[in-house]
Amino acid sequence: MFNEDTILLLYEITDVIIAGLSNGSVYALMAIGMTLVYGVTKAFNFAYGDFFNMGGYFAWILIVGLGLQFGGYITVLIIVLPLLFLVGYGLEKFMVAPLRKRADWENRVMMLTLGLALFLSNLYMVLFGTKLKSLPPIMDGILEIGQIVFSYQDIMIFVLSLGGILTFGWLLNNTRTGMAVRAVAQNPEGAKIVGINIKRIFASTFAISTVMVGFGGILLSQKLFINPTSGGSIMVKAWVVTAFGGMGSIRGGLYAAFIIGMMEAFVGWIFGMSYTIIALFVLLLATLVIRPQGLMGKGA
Amino acid sequence: MLKLSNVTKRFGALIAVNNLSFEVSQGQVFGIAGPNGAGKSTVYNLITGFYDFEGSIRFDGKEISGMKPHQIAQLGISRTFQIPQTFPSLTVEQSLEVGNRFGNRAKHDARRIERIIDFVELQSERHEFTGTLNLLGKKKLMIGAALATDPKILMLDEPMAGSNAHEIKALMELIQRMNQELGITIIIIEHFMKVLTELTETLLIIETGTEICCGDPEVVTSDPRVIECYLGGDDD
Repeated sequence: MFNEDTILLLYEITDVIIAGLSNGSVYALMAIGMTLVYGVTKAFNFAYGDFFNMGGYFAWILIVGLGLQFGGYITVLIIVLPLLFLVGYGLEKFMVAPLRKRADWENRVMMLTLGLALFLSNLYMVLFGTKLKSLPPIMDGILEIGQIVFSYQDIMIFVLSLGGILTFGWLLNNTRTGMAVRAVAQNPEGAKIVGINIKRIFASTFAISTVMVGFGGILLSQKLFINPTSGGSIMVKAWVVTAFGGMGSIRGGLYAAFIIGMMEAFVGWIFGMSYTIIALFVLLLATLVIRPQGLMGKGA
Repeated sequence: MLKLSNVTKRFGALIAVNNLSFEVSQGQVFGIAGPNGAGKSTVYNLITGFYDFEGSIRFDGKEISGMKPHQIAQLGISRTFQIPQTFPSLTVEQSLEVGNRFGNRAKHDARRIERIIDFVELQSERHEFTGTLNLLGKKKLMIGAALATDPKILMLDEPMAGSNAHEIKALMELIQRMNQELGITIIIIEHFMKVLTELTETLLIIETGTEICCGDPEVVTSDPRVIECYLGGDDD
């Protein structure tokens, strides 16, 4: 029915789709974390990409630096995710929250997080050097189904990211804190008068967002490298996904992440990887011109 | 039950509430009226912890100045706003659950939510998103969400604003039932004098944050100072 070339092409396309799904699932983690913070606290975190690297570096310290043997990435996640939570919670409570009392607090938070981004990238260079670091794959080997080959690494990244997203969705819909997060996102004043401590919710939201992007860093740093100065470009990518999905829309961020993951994979396959960043900005420009509120954003 | 003593609130050079004192007794329906900009809503914002102030506010003998809005809500003081503050993407039931989980009781009680839905008569809208409710529905929901926090005092800010005669009647009945059947002390800010004279036992009139007079609504509304400042040339 199909000749050999067509079959080879189909296999290649399958590979590209798997890579797109794998990257897209991590982008979804990053975009949901970013849109959550913006949706709930109305703050924009310019150091967001540096927390991606923080996740990668924490994992590197444990696996490569300390030569962690027991439990592999499971142990890494058990240790690193709570650490990231504490970092995010502390950032909001001790650095962002005091600025909220000022009239122009949004600008102050922007300057604070820009400064923090510079500080963190330089801190990483001091602590880990300027050379790129790499993490071992979460699982070696390949899965062959007929002629189609899946890397276990891609499968695990996809499964763990999806697990992270589903866990987040469950927590948001089924826990007391999740209910408070939704209430504060929709109406902070209304939330206060029914007894919700919105300061605690702001800090928790920052913490959850830091966990999500750091988790993305642990997963994707296995395929890419950990680069101390890449925080800015990672933040931009997370922002493009978030803007394309619609700021404040978790569902929009999810759809956008997989669309952009696929777009990158196909553009990389057809034109080469260096064109993916161009495609990303073309998409951003098109979004801003055609539908500034994004796929599922509510707009002004 | 609730006692304000020499409460003053300044916004820069503007004195929004000026040395105001009044007391609300348990089980009372207490009205506050005054022209636009008189400081009525500011008084609510002071009681519910949205603004700091000079003076003292005591609730059940406890000083509440300096407390945060969520802490005051957890003590049993709840309020509504003139523009309904709902959670648009939560359903009616979920919105009540928020109040139930975080208010005075701070625990989930499905039967209590059921009773509140029945009480505010939102049975048929229980699964609707609150953003889709009509004005009366939103007002009932806001009262229901406040009830879900298990309040001892409920402060209503112009609950009749924008309502037609039928809606006003329904809301007045709801307020009376909350006071008589549930024993909740009510404070109500309202522009409709007829509503205040029918519902309240004590009526406080303020202008530019200062008390003009306070007492029996029939007496207060016929006071020449009130007629001059409030009912006089002003449309309000």
